[in-house]
Amino acid sequence: MEKVEILTRVQDIFRDLLDDESIVLTSETMADDVEGWDSLTHIQLIVAIEKSFKIKFTSREILSWKNVGEMIDNISLK
Amino acid sequence: MDINEFKRSVETDKGRILTHQFFITESIYKSFQECSGDMNPLHTDVTFALKKGFRERVMYGNILNTFVSYFVGECLPTQDVIIHSQDIIYKKPVYMNDRLHLEAKIDGIYESVRVVEFSFKFINQDSQIVARGHIQIGLL
Repeated sequence: MEKVEILTRVQDIFRDLLDDESIVLTSETMADDVEGWDSLTHIQLIVAIEKSFKIKFTSREILSWKNVGEMIDNISLK
Repeated sequence: MDINEFKRSVETDKGRILTHQFFITESIYKSFQECSGDMNPLHTDVTFALKKGFRERVMYGNILNTFVSYFVGECLPTQDVIIHSQDIIYKKPVYMNDRLHLEAKIDGIYESVRVVEFSFKFINQDSQIVARGHIQIGLL
């Protein structure tokens, strides 16, 4: 799957979970850039992404991400 | 508790299904009524309930959510848990003295974020599903 396609799907997940259709993710987006992206929401996002892409992350992978781009890179390698 | 230890401890003969029995008593009804302050006649006035087509006062649906709370807090292999989310759909009315069998099936374990998801159903003494729903918990 192309990274742009992954980004769109992840963005849809963010919009759904955060109830905000205006969210636009880029590779550089970080948690502080998205209102409501707190620690609990982060857990919900990971669960939703794992379900949607039928993949599993490790906690080490999650901790290594600095921005959305690194998350997308990680998904693309699964 | 380590999430792998949790996984091992919820493996039962029936698969990843956990069960518990609940009983709707006058004491539970009164306690919930006092806690919620909900005096809606459907729950308090038998004449009103009969007029609306029920056979007696309908118990508060959210009593079942308190049972879910008990299940998560007291029936899992660890008490190091927190509820992230829960939803419930009511299928049939519940009445005083009903015996409810809770069956909770693990739908997913997300090790990376220490999350466990369950789907559950409450079945009454007449084998009717009275409610079903989902719970997402986090292991602390």
